[in-house]
Amino acid sequence: MDAVVSTPSLRIALIGVPNCGKTALFNRLTGSRQKVANYPGVTVERREGERAALDGRALRILDLPGTYSLSPTTLDEAITRDVLLGRVADAPAPELVVCVVDAVHLPIGLRLALEVKRLGLPMVLALNRMDVAAKRGVHIDMERLATELGVPVLPTIAVKRGGADALIDAIQPARWEHHRSVAARAWQDATAEDAEQTQTDLRGVLAAVGYSPPKENRWFERIDAILLHPVWGLVVLAAVLFVMFQAVFSWAEAPMGWIDGSLGKLGEFTAAHLPEGPLSSLLVNGVIAGAAAVLVFLPQILILFFFILALEDSGYLPRAAYLLDRMMGGVGLSGRAFIPLLSSFACAIPGIMAARTIPSWRDRLTTIMIAPLMTCSARLPVYALLISALIPAKAVGPFNLQGLVLLALYVAGIVGALAVAWVMKHFAGVRQYSPLMLELPDYQWPHAGNLLLGLWERVKIFLSRVGGIILALMIVLWFLSSYPAPPDGATGPPIQYSFAGRLGAMLEYVFAPIGFNWQISIALVPGLAAREVAVSALGTVYAMSATGDDVAGRLEPVIASTWSLATACSLLVWYVFAPQCLSTLAVVKRETNSWRYPLIMAGYLFALAYVASFITYRVIAAIP
Amino acid sequence: MNPILPAVNPPDSNANSAHPLAELRRGEAAVVAGLAEVAGFDDGHGSGAIVLARLRDLGFVAGARCEVIAKMWPVGDPMVVRVGGSTFALRRAEAAAVRVMRPEVKAAAQVQLALKETSTALA
Repeated sequence: MDAVVSTPSLRIALIGVPNCGKTALFNRLTGSRQKVANYPGVTVERREGERAALDGRALRILDLPGTYSLSPTTLDEAITRDVLLGRVADAPAPELVVCVVDAVHLPIGLRLALEVKRLGLPMVLALNRMDVAAKRGVHIDMERLATELGVPVLPTIAVKRGGADALIDAIQPARWEHHRSVAARAWQDATAEDAEQTQTDLRGVLAAVGYSPPKENRWFERIDAILLHPVWGLVVLAAVLFVMFQAVFSWAEAPMGWIDGSLGKLGEFTAAHLPEGPLSSLLVNGVIAGAAAVLVFLPQILILFFFILALEDSGYLPRAAYLLDRMMGGVGLSGRAFIPLLSSFACAIPGIMAARTIPSWRDRLTTIMIAPLMTCSARLPVYALLISALIPAKAVGPFNLQGLVLLALYVAGIVGALAVAWVMKHFAGVRQYSPLMLELPDYQWPHAGNLLLGLWERVKIFLSRVGGIILALMIVLWFLSSYPAPPDGATGPPIQYSFAGRLGAMLEYVFAPIGFNWQISIALVPGLAAREVAVSALGTVYAMSATGDDVAGRLEPVIASTWSLATACSLLVWYVFAPQCLSTLAVVKRETNSWRYPLIMAGYLFALAYVASFITYRVIAAIP
Repeated sequence: MNPILPAVNPPDSNANSAHPLAELRRGEAAVVAGLAEVAGFDDGHGSGAIVLARLRDLGFVAGARCEVIAKMWPVGDPMVVRVGGSTFALRRAEAAAVRVMRPEVKAAAQVQLALKETSTALA
């Protein structure tokens, strides 16, 4: 119940075309007082935030997904329309609409504003990027614009401190609250006459306010001449991706060492100060070791997301999608799939969620189905461990063999993904045309504040994962591998008598043909929850299977001395393809709204992994 | 049936009539004459109509000036087009649906005709 009935908050919705600076304005208005959730029943991201109006009353601000039109072509755009119409459960129609229009590209935003205004909701127009517009020779008579539209027009500069002050002045609840209780509206999709009327109105308003298109920016033209060039554009794209992945590995090394080192010290400290027994074992082997194994990737994930967010903010990503559209079309993908697939190198979950921006359901489904084949950062620890344990660090020409193997694993995932997309294109259903029609926004420097907010969001999601699922699983695994205790006079390592040991022995029947021993088989089970856990699980399993004093031995030498090369390579290949992350499958279920696709995904990935590992194991084992 | 834009194919009989935008070379500018449904993206489920409606909402309307900024090899699929102060990447099939008048044939009468064609198409 709302305790403060006398001063209820005012519900405000921000709407605008993509790239108009709407999200930057939302960040400016709400700062970090925002939460991200989903609309009920669908997984369109719902960003909501709060701030106080000048009279101290609360404003609840909703950042609607960007759309060019109220005739939707994607799920996101449909949600925007439905929220404005008051059709979405749990998201009552806004009491005030703030229509954000990029002053530089006035026509496209103003057209949407005219369409929104027809809904009859109270509205103000935030004319954003006024500073850039002035620099590029765009002059807009704001008073005239307000008269023509019949709504207040406020200048904003979303990326500047104080850039939203005029807007905040204008949205005092007292001015708008008499518009309360807006019921769900009747709605008909725009007819040809409506659309024509909107275009006529638009031409009239543009002429009245004296709008002229922006002067071409010479720098943007020069940059585009290179970045959109059929050859140089692709060369630059390859270089950008190379630098990005290089950075993920080299920049992350130091902070990963600090995290590993300090958590290791914490473990030693705990072990030294607690009496030996189940509690000490749980804390050291279960909680601390488990958390350390996962937290260690935080730097890599942050660096990858830093690059993705910065590239997105700069306006480069749609250009990359343009360059790749033709090539990706060859296997039945849209150039728009580039952005979700690139995110999948960090983690398949945001990647699968980003696939919502693909209008065609078929293209979107293909993108979702292959996203887990992009090598996500959670596979890195497994790759890193096995490669450093078993692949000699010798030079092959100017390269390092370990690096080449790592590259080969990434390439294997990409090739697998393309092959699966190709198969889906040829064996699934009716072909539906899916448009590209992608806006290439102006270039701009990434804004530090927005970048930090975006990264902070990722850190929160990652840490809550570590704190939640992953940690719980590590504790369960510790329990399973500690109990029941071995009987008196037992000769083997204690873990063989535990639940985990028995489970591993059973799984070994399944995995023996591809060269996995029982320790690996056990580690694969918690690895289902989160791939990276498999490393710490192997650590736990080997630590607990040691019989003598060598418990604390590092995992790497143990693997190097007990696994064959064939087994290690088979496990690496397994990790390229196997469906090993339940959260990914859960997201697919949510995104496709059915169990069918996650089940198909798990099935095909398992089959692919088993066959590929089988071949790898047999071939390498056959080489003398 | 197309609920948003009835199919219209401007007669190509005379040399001065509208061309598909897809035929323009890089750097060439023209004036939009209207939209016409083309084979290639209509799947019989109305997606052709959606594409045309979206092109219209992006600013490809009669009288708008547009310019080809870049074309991908080998056949300009996709291509980059600037219209109404914004820039878009369009596939060849999408660009073929936009009919344009080249400047050299932009006699006043032709523009009149094009505008008339479009308004009939949109009505």
